[in-house]
Amino acid sequence: MPPRHLVIGGGTAGLNAIRTIREEDGGSSEITLVSAERPYSRMVLPYYLGDSIAESHVFTATPASLAAWKVKTLIGRKAAKLDPAARTLTLDDGSTVEYDDCLIATGSRAARAPVPGADGPGVHSFWTLDEARRVIADVSRGSRVVMVGAGFISFTILNAILARGARLTIVEVAPRILPRMVDDTCAGIVDAWLRRHGVAIRAGATITKIEEQKGTRKLLFKKGEPLVADAVIMATGIRTNLEWLQGSGIEMAQDGQGGILVDDHLRTNVPNVYAAGDVARGRNLVTGAPEVHAIEPTAQEHGRVVGANMAGRDVVYRGSLLMNIVEVCHLDVASFGQWDDTGAEAFTGSRPARSQYRKLLFRGGRLTGAMICGPSSDIWTTNDVGILKGLVQTGVDLSTWKRHLAADPFDVKPAFMATRTTAVLLPITVLERPSQSPSLPQSVATR
Amino acid sequence: MKILALHPEKCTGCLRCELACSYMQTGTYQPAKSVIRVSPFEGYTSYAPYTCTQCAEGWCMTACPVGAIQISAVGAKDVLDDKCVGCKLCTIACPYGTMFFDAERYKAYKCNLCGGAPACVDACPTQAITFEDVPSRDWIGDYAAERSVHVLAREVA
Repeated sequence: MPPRHLVIGGGTAGLNAIRTIREEDGGSSEITLVSAERPYSRMVLPYYLGDSIAESHVFTATPASLAAWKVKTLIGRKAAKLDPAARTLTLDDGSTVEYDDCLIATGSRAARAPVPGADGPGVHSFWTLDEARRVIADVSRGSRVVMVGAGFISFTILNAILARGARLTIVEVAPRILPRMVDDTCAGIVDAWLRRHGVAIRAGATITKIEEQKGTRKLLFKKGEPLVADAVIMATGIRTNLEWLQGSGIEMAQDGQGGILVDDHLRTNVPNVYAAGDVARGRNLVTGAPEVHAIEPTAQEHGRVVGANMAGRDVVYRGSLLMNIVEVCHLDVASFGQWDDTGAEAFTGSRPARSQYRKLLFRGGRLTGAMICGPSSDIWTTNDVGILKGLVQTGVDLSTWKRHLAADPFDVKPAFMATRTTAVLLPITVLERPSQSPSLPQSVATR
Repeated sequence: MKILALHPEKCTGCLRCELACSYMQTGTYQPAKSVIRVSPFEGYTSYAPYTCTQCAEGWCMTACPVGAIQISAVGAKDVLDDKCVGCKLCTIACPYGTMFFDAERYKAYKCNLCGGAPACVDACPTQAITFEDVPSRDWIGDYAAERSVHVLAREVA
């Protein structure tokens, strides 16, 4: 009997696992996908919000493509209970699915700050497609929008809110914007840039209450004047979707908020059960520590590694590199690895007049973190983003270059080339084989 | 598959590859839009071209959330414009620094081997760039290392 794979969650990790299983087995196994929503890419929802793509563009799979991939789908169903001893998943409608091995990739959801009125009308999250649709319906030309939270998530939709013609105010409880993505200096550059582009920012502001007043919202603060808004978007963090696993015997950190514990193959403590993406406490590539990296590239790599292992390969996961890039009003801001490591040796360079900033963080001769900020029109910003990623990812020995990089943190390309980083990178593949095109393998189509 | 082989010891720094590439990729003669880039060494006395290796992993391709980067008929990782939304994830995923972004079109772009007839190869007067059926390798590392000794020695002194 062919193996029965069960994938729980149709997000990035789940879909990458499915595609990898099919790349490996050509369609010989049974795959069942259980997903509360039709599969789409969260990463591109901001472009749908900004009207630069149609809604149809966000979907990563269609009923037809899943059928072509020979996947049995249970869309609109949620996982309710896992019984690892019986190898059975119970769904929210009481039906059950049997499996030989399964992947838990149920992802995360938006969490709102615990403020009175945060669940009222006109107050939104922006995480799922349904939430995106509600924001689209509520934000148009001239709308007064207040975004609560000045982190990565809020910054990914900033351009889109402006593209809809809304007037935007960003409110952040921390004393500055992007507190978990860049340092103070970089945040200062981004802050000044945004203000020049017409975005109002109120940092160090604690909301006490959101009042509903005849179709508009009034935000009250511990200190300072209230703000009136037509729409409020809460980008105040995320929570893992793991409550349904309580009592299953799957080991989790901090009741699930710290993710599911996994080994170097992304296996949980329970035989034949894997975890990937936002719910997996995977290895950090730089430090080796187990942690949740709720970012797209980690979900992709986790999903692919699990897919290969479910298909019978023996693939060890090296770990994920924490990295983020966001473009706001044509300013690129990116950070890699341990960019906030206070114990590291840090070299910084800034050209305030050009809104450029670089930070290189070293542990010995190894670059363990980096930060980069500059106008999107600077070609070097885009290229150096990749070069910094390569240096942090490989951990090549930069000892002889440290002095040079301390003097000029902008001049990373010669160091990259002369340390033969390309030679280190070329043999590295996540699945220990060349990657395939994301299209359907011929072997599945013709089987 | 055939790839771009780079022979820095033959490069004169004339930048004809960059002009040809930018014209092929974006229809304009602007080195700034080229996806092959010539780096100077030793005070602009020696040069090396640098571009995408078409690496086996294809970090850009596996990172793209909408499958906009695919392997073309000639084996190059190629950006499909109608699918690219401009999220820039490929630019942080590529560890070689060889993804590019066209701010005007709001699309990522990269070396696609010009569909099998690379313009840079045609344009190079000294065969510093050739199109050959050889494995990808680090064409620049040793050359760059030798030509950086002087820079680094000066800083240490």
